[in-house]
Amino acid sequence: MKRLIMFMYVLVGFSNAWAQTKASDKEWAAVIDGAKKEGKVVVAGSPDPVMRNDVIPKFTARFGIPVEFVAGRSSQIVSRVETERASGIYSIDLYLAGPDTSANELYNDKMIDPLKPLIAMPEVVDGSKWKTGKVWFADPQEQFVVRAFSSVASLLYINTEHVKPDELRNIKDLINPKWRGKISTEDPTTTGAGANMAARLLTQVGEEFVKNLYIEQKPVRTRERRQMADWLARGTQPICLNCREDDVRPLVKDGFKVLEIFELNGAAPTINGSPWMLTVANKAPHPKAAQLFANWILSKEGLETYGKGYGSATLRTDVDESYLNPGNLPKKGVKYFDDTEWKWIVGGRHESRDKVWKILKTR
Amino acid sequence: MKSPAITLSSPVIRFRLRPIRIAELSFLVFLIAAMGTPLLFLLTGSFNLAAPGKPAVYGFDNWFRAFTDPGTLSALWMSFLLSVVRLIPAMILSVMFAWLIARTDMPGGKWIESACWIAYFVPDFPLVLAWILLLDPNFGFLNTLAKSLPFIDRAIFNPYSFWGIVWVHTSTGGIWFKVMLLVPVFRRLGASLEEAARVAGANTTTMLWRITLPVLAPMILAVSVLSFIRGLQSFNTELLLGTPADIYVYSTKIYDFLHREPRAYGEATALGSVFLFVLAILLFFYWRCLSGNKKFTVVTGQGYSTLRVKLGKWRYVAFTGCLFYVGVMMLLPVTFLIIGSFMRRYGFFNITSPFTLNHWHNMLADPIFLVALKNSLIIASVTAIGGILLYSALAYLLVSKRTVTAPLLESLCWIPHVLPGILLSLGVLWLFLATPLRFFLYGTVWGIAFALILADSPVTTQAFKAGLLQLGSDLEESARVSGASWAYTYRRILLPLLAPIAAAVGLMNFGSALTSISTPVLLYSHQSRPLAILLLEYSFTGELERAAALGLLITLIIGAMMLIARKLGLQLSGSD
Repeated sequence: MKRLIMFMYVLVGFSNAWAQTKASDKEWAAVIDGAKKEGKVVVAGSPDPVMRNDVIPKFTARFGIPVEFVAGRSSQIVSRVETERASGIYSIDLYLAGPDTSANELYNDKMIDPLKPLIAMPEVVDGSKWKTGKVWFADPQEQFVVRAFSSVASLLYINTEHVKPDELRNIKDLINPKWRGKISTEDPTTTGAGANMAARLLTQVGEEFVKNLYIEQKPVRTRERRQMADWLARGTQPICLNCREDDVRPLVKDGFKVLEIFELNGAAPTINGSPWMLTVANKAPHPKAAQLFANWILSKEGLETYGKGYGSATLRTDVDESYLNPGNLPKKGVKYFDDTEWKWIVGGRHESRDKVWKILKTR
Repeated sequence: MKSPAITLSSPVIRFRLRPIRIAELSFLVFLIAAMGTPLLFLLTGSFNLAAPGKPAVYGFDNWFRAFTDPGTLSALWMSFLLSVVRLIPAMILSVMFAWLIARTDMPGGKWIESACWIAYFVPDFPLVLAWILLLDPNFGFLNTLAKSLPFIDRAIFNPYSFWGIVWVHTSTGGIWFKVMLLVPVFRRLGASLEEAARVAGANTTTMLWRITLPVLAPMILAVSVLSFIRGLQSFNTELLLGTPADIYVYSTKIYDFLHREPRAYGEATALGSVFLFVLAILLFFYWRCLSGNKKFTVVTGQGYSTLRVKLGKWRYVAFTGCLFYVGVMMLLPVTFLIIGSFMRRYGFFNITSPFTLNHWHNMLADPIFLVALKNSLIIASVTAIGGILLYSALAYLLVSKRTVTAPLLESLCWIPHVLPGILLSLGVLWLFLATPLRFFLYGTVWGIAFALILADSPVTTQAFKAGLLQLGSDLEESARVSGASWAYTYRRILLPLLAPIAAAVGLMNFGSALTSISTPVLLYSHQSRPLAILLLEYSFTGELERAAALGLLITLIIGAMMLIARKLGLQLSGSD
C-alpha cells in the first residue's frame, strides 16, 4: 500500500511537472506570437560590436523580429530616457546596462519592472541550466535585475618582455620604485574602471597602498582604453591596470608577449558581472517582444553568443566555455571579491571612490 | 501742402518697413524659442537639486559644488592659457594665408585653400593619434629620425606636454577653420582701395596693415571670438595628450560632470555658464570695435575690381611657405591616418602582415552603414541649405540698421557656440519633448538637422554679416529705384555677391553636420542614426582602425561636396 501511495505520488508529481512544462511551452508560444505582432524590440546598451554583429542578427534570424539598438554611454542613455519619460514617452523595452547604471539609476529611479514573472522560456526557467541553481536576480527583492555573467576579472596585464611574472608576486610589488612611470591606468579621478579599481584596492589593501600606487609611482593616466593597450604592447608602460580583455586579445593573437594576471598575493581575486545586467523597462512599448528578447538573451544561444564575443564567463551550465582563458573561470573553494555585489555597488564602492578622489585631489 | 515726392515715397516706406518688421519679429520669436528656451531649461535645471523624477527643489548647491571642486580654477586657467597661446599665432597665420590665397598672385592658391578645407574635416581623434605616432618620446617616428643624428641623443619632441598640445591643436583645428571663413571676405575686397593706397605710395605691408585689415575687421574679429571660445571648449586633444601629463582643462571638468554616474548636469551647466560670461565680454568689445561711423564697405556699384596684388619674386617664396606648412601640419599626419586605416593595428608596423583591407570591408559591410550614410547625407544637406536660408536673412536684418532688436538677436545667435554640444543637445531634447515638435521632429533626421542648424548659427550668421557689411547700400538702392522688389533684389544682386560666402558656410555646415557627435547624441533614434554616431560607437569600443576608415570616408564625401559647392558658388557669383 505504501508503495502504491508512493507510486501515485510520483506519478502525480511527474504529471504536474509535465503539465507545467507543457503550460510553459504554450505560454512561450503565446509570447512569441505576441512579440511578432508588436513587430520590433528596442534595446538600450553599450555599443559593443558583439551586439551589433552577432547578437542582433541571431535574434532576428531566429524570430523574424528586428531589434532597434540604442547604443551609447549609460549616462547619456539614462538622461535621454528620463527626459522622454518626463514627457510621457516610453521608447525603450530593455536595458543591457552596467552594474552601476542598473543599480543606482534604473533600479533606484524606478524605471524598470519586475523581470522575474516574465521568465518563461523553458530552458531559462530550468534551474539545472544555471550554475547558481536558478536565474540570479541581484537586487534585494530578487525581482528586477538579472546577473547573467560571472567571470574572474583580470587584476592587471603585463608585457613579459619588460616585466617578468616573477617580479610581480605580491600586490605590493607594484609599488616597487623600479615600476615608477611604467604603470598605466584609466584615469582614477573620474568615474569609470580606473576609479573602481582604485576603490577596490583601497578596500582590499588600504589607503597607504593606494597613495603609493597612484601618487608615488606616477602611473600614466589616460581616458582612452586603446592608448593603454598600445602602451602595453610597445612596452612603454608594460604594466596595465585597466586594459580590457577585448583590447588585449588581438595583441596576443599578433604575438605580443602579453600576460593577463588574475591575482596577486595580498589582494583577493575578483569576480564581476561584466558586460551587462539585464532589466526590462516599465511601460515598455513592446512588452511581449521585450519578454521574448529577455528570455532569449538568457538562453544558451543568447548568452553563448554574447559570452564568446565579449570573452566573459556566463552563469549557464550548458555554454561551451572552451573559448575562455581558463583564468576567467571562477574556481570552486576560492573566496572572491565580488565587484558586482549589490551592496558594494550601491554603497561601498561610492564611499571608497570618494576617499580615493580625496586622496588624489589633495596630493 | 505735401510735395509730390513725399506723397510718392510714403507708400514705398510703408511697403519697405512692414516686411522687415515682420521678419524681425519672426526671428525674435524663433530665436527666443529655439535658442533661449534650451538655455533657460538648462539654467533652471542647474539650480534643481532633486534627483531625476522627483519634485524639483531649488538651491545653489550644484553651482557651489562645481566651483569649489579642487582643480576647477586651475583647469579654467589652463584653458585660457592654451586658448590664447593657440589663438595669436593661428590668427596671424590665417590672415596671411587668406590674404595670399585671395588677394595676391601666389601660384597654387586654390590648392592651398582646398587643402585647408580637407584638413578641417579630417576627424581629430585619429589625427591626434597620428601625431602621437610621429612625436611620442619613446617610439615617435620624428623622434627616432632625430635620434639617428649624431648630435641628438634623446627625444626632442613630446606631445604629452603644454607645447605638444599647442602644436597638435595647430594641426587639427589650427588655421584651417579661420582660413575657410576669411578667404571669401578677402576675395570680396575690391582692389580700388588698395590701388588708391599704392598711388599714394604705400608699400604692400602698409597697404595690408592700414587698408586691408581694418576694412576686414568685422570678419577677423568674429573669427577671433569664435576661435577663442572654440579653443576654450576644445576637448579631444587635451583628453588624449593632457591626461598622461596631468594637464586638465576646463572642458575636461565639464565632461567629467556630464559623464559622472549619477549624472551631474547641474554642475556641468554651472561650469558652462563661464562661457556665457566670456562671450558677453568678448561681444561687448566686438560691438565696440564695430560701432561708430566705421565703414567696411568694399563692394559698391562703382568701379568694383578684384585685381590681385603682385608679389613678384616673393610669390614662389610665399607658395613654398604655405606648402611647407600644409605639408607638415596636414599631409604628414593625414598620410599616417590613411596608412592607419589599412593597418591591422594602427601604428604597429612590426607585426606579421601589418596591412589589411578588413577595416574598410567591415565598415562597408556593417548593416547599419548604408542607413547611416543616407541619414547623414539628408541631415547634412538640410543643415547646409537651411542654415544658408535662415542665417543669410538674419544677417541681412542685423546689418540693415533698421531693426530695433539687433543686439538681442545677435546675442541669441551666439548661444549655441557657448554651450557644450551635449548640453545643447539636452536643451533641444527638452525643447522637443515639451512642445508639439516631438510629434514630427523627435528621433527623426529632421530633428537632428534642426538641432545642427541651431548649432551653426554663430558661424553662419557672422560669416554672412561680415559679407553683407562689405556690400554698399547703393547696390540695393539702385535696384529698388529701378523698380525691383526686395525679393528680386535679394535674388539678383545680393545672393550672387554673397554666393562665395554661402558656398563656404554651406559646405562648412555640411561637413560639421557629417562629423558632429555631441549634438545628435541625445536626439537620434535607430532609424535616424547618422555616420558620426557610428564613428562614436567604433571609437567607444576601441575599433580605432575602422573609425579611421570611416573618418576618411566622411572626409572624402566632404571633399566631393567641396568641389561641387565651389563650382556652384563661383558660378553663382560669376567670378573665379
